[in-house]
Amino acid sequence: MNKVMMQLKTMKKQNYIFYTTVLFIVIASIVFVHHNHGLYDKPIGVVTEVNLINEEPTTDRAGNEDTRGQQELYLKLQNGNQKGEQVTVIDEFTGSKATGDRYRTGDQLFLSINGEEARVEGVKRDYYLVYVAWFFIFALLLVGKKQGLMALLSLAINSLILSFALDAFIQTSNVSLLFVSLICIVLFTVISLLMVNGRSIKTYAAIFATLSGMLALLAITSILLYVTGGTGLRFEEMQFLTRHPEVIFLAGVLIGALGAVMDVAITITSSLYNLFEKNNKITLEQLNSSGKAIGKDIMGTMTNILFFVYISGSIPIIIIYIKNAVPLSFALSHTISLDIARALAGGIGIVVTIPIAIYIINYLISRKQVRS
Amino acid sequence: MNVLWLLALILLSLMYWVGGKQGVKSFFTIFFNFSIIIVAIIFMADPARNPVILALLACVTIGYVNLFFLNGNNVKTKAAFLSSMLTIAVLMIGIYFITELTHIQGFGEEEGEEIAALSVMIGIDFVQLMASVIILSTIGAIIDNAISIASPMNEIHRYHPNLKRKELFRRGMAIGKDILGTSANTIFFAFFGSFLALLVWFKDLSYSFGDVVNARVLSAELITVLFAGAGVAIIIPVTAWVTAFVLEKGWFRGKEGEG
Repeated sequence: MNKVMMQLKTMKKQNYIFYTTVLFIVIASIVFVHHNHGLYDKPIGVVTEVNLINEEPTTDRAGNEDTRGQQELYLKLQNGNQKGEQVTVIDEFTGSKATGDRYRTGDQLFLSINGEEARVEGVKRDYYLVYVAWFFIFALLLVGKKQGLMALLSLAINSLILSFALDAFIQTSNVSLLFVSLICIVLFTVISLLMVNGRSIKTYAAIFATLSGMLALLAITSILLYVTGGTGLRFEEMQFLTRHPEVIFLAGVLIGALGAVMDVAITITSSLYNLFEKNNKITLEQLNSSGKAIGKDIMGTMTNILFFVYISGSIPIIIIYIKNAVPLSFALSHTISLDIARALAGGIGIVVTIPIAIYIINYLISRKQVRS
Repeated sequence: MNVLWLLALILLSLMYWVGGKQGVKSFFTIFFNFSIIIVAIIFMADPARNPVILALLACVTIGYVNLFFLNGNNVKTKAAFLSSMLTIAVLMIGIYFITELTHIQGFGEEEGEEIAALSVMIGIDFVQLMASVIILSTIGAIIDNAISIASPMNEIHRYHPNLKRKELFRRGMAIGKDILGTSANTIFFAFFGSFLALLVWFKDLSYSFGDVVNARVLSAELITVLFAGAGVAIIIPVTAWVTAFVLEKGWFRGKEGEG
């Protein structure tokens, strides 16, 4: 009894230390992003006053009505050798805010200062990102507790791997991005599944199923791209890239589908293995039909998740096309062909993984049944 | 032949092979969702209408189609629908607020030359449009989590009808915790995949860390993914609470047989 009490006490103490540390990190990070102006080379100014100079209605060729105007911004410089000085900027804006926005007092802006002339270069957004990041982190921690923490850690590690991989890709131009991403995919799979689901036979089966599913997806998409020569895909959407858009697209398809494929693999392997643990004599036919029933239930919604993530981002550009009197079909084929391909390919990865995962877990279970 | 048609054909055959009739239904749900988005876009193209309201209406339609058409009209889908809409409404407030503050809407140099030939003076509020984009990116994952929690909770209630609301809620949270990690992963990798090209571009231009973090496109993507991630977490207690409440009160039990 005493021992239990002791354990409770130390656990409380550990919790206390944990929460204090988290609180400290939160405060420190927020203080930091509000006082990091010295780390930027570009001059940063805080808007202290905004005066509207003029705002006039405009009509473009397609007859769209909007407004355009000028604003006078008073800014106080936050860094550099002119720190503390006042600058005035005349800046243009549009009513729709598609290109130039109206600023408010308190906004922090990057400036380029050339003698007496100053221009707005961009908005300092890092502190808002930190706020949203903490919101996300706390949502995961409060809801998921330990599982949330593991998910966050695996996300952090995966982001670091991706960043290093991209550096390696940029610096050694002879290494293909596809090869780099294949290595990444293996690392991502092993790390995420082990961290989120723990070490068990189900996890190993899921890792194997994920990698096989990804291999099948890679084979299907590259054969398709090779056979068709990519007709119907407008790689011009990625025209800002200087290197092979096809390869970067394919790498993006694979990485984008990976999370969903892992989800499907672990769902199937762990539920089938649980069935086996409840009933050691379960037949392979029963496992097969249960696996298919589960797979059937989740494949539609999983594909939809990818679909919404990919398509939504293109809504503003499609609207721009429509408002420029471009026919809808042309607008769609010019803006979202790659996104639709990504969603469909992701769906293929998801569905292909279902029979693979069933087969792998069946194989493991039948070996266990033979042994016992 | 066009790659998109081939991909769609392969997906349809695979879905039919694995899921039979239900597989075909799943396939056409994707196109249903696509049509909803297209209709929403056409409505949003009218400056007189409010894009945020339209996005919320689109979410209601998407939730309705995906839950009731795919999973039938019963206690669990109704609870999941209610929970998804509550979560979406709450998230939308935060999303709108942050989009307004961060000025992440609009277009930049990464859009290429194509946009330069088009007029962007179209009189539609791009802050609202951006907030709509963020909420619509998240809706799929939120609905998925809601039904994944409501459905087993309904089963638990069926076998243990005397469980108190508190205990039902606790069971729901336990189910939610188990799926939180994988659903956060799904969302994150989906976004990694979609902005991989952008990251390569930033690295190519040797942008500094500060440039990348404050860049409009990247902030927009990061804010979207963080809200989506928070959304898949927040839906868990909301669904657990709503489902426990609904089951205990005996609401929505018109067609018990289907439950």
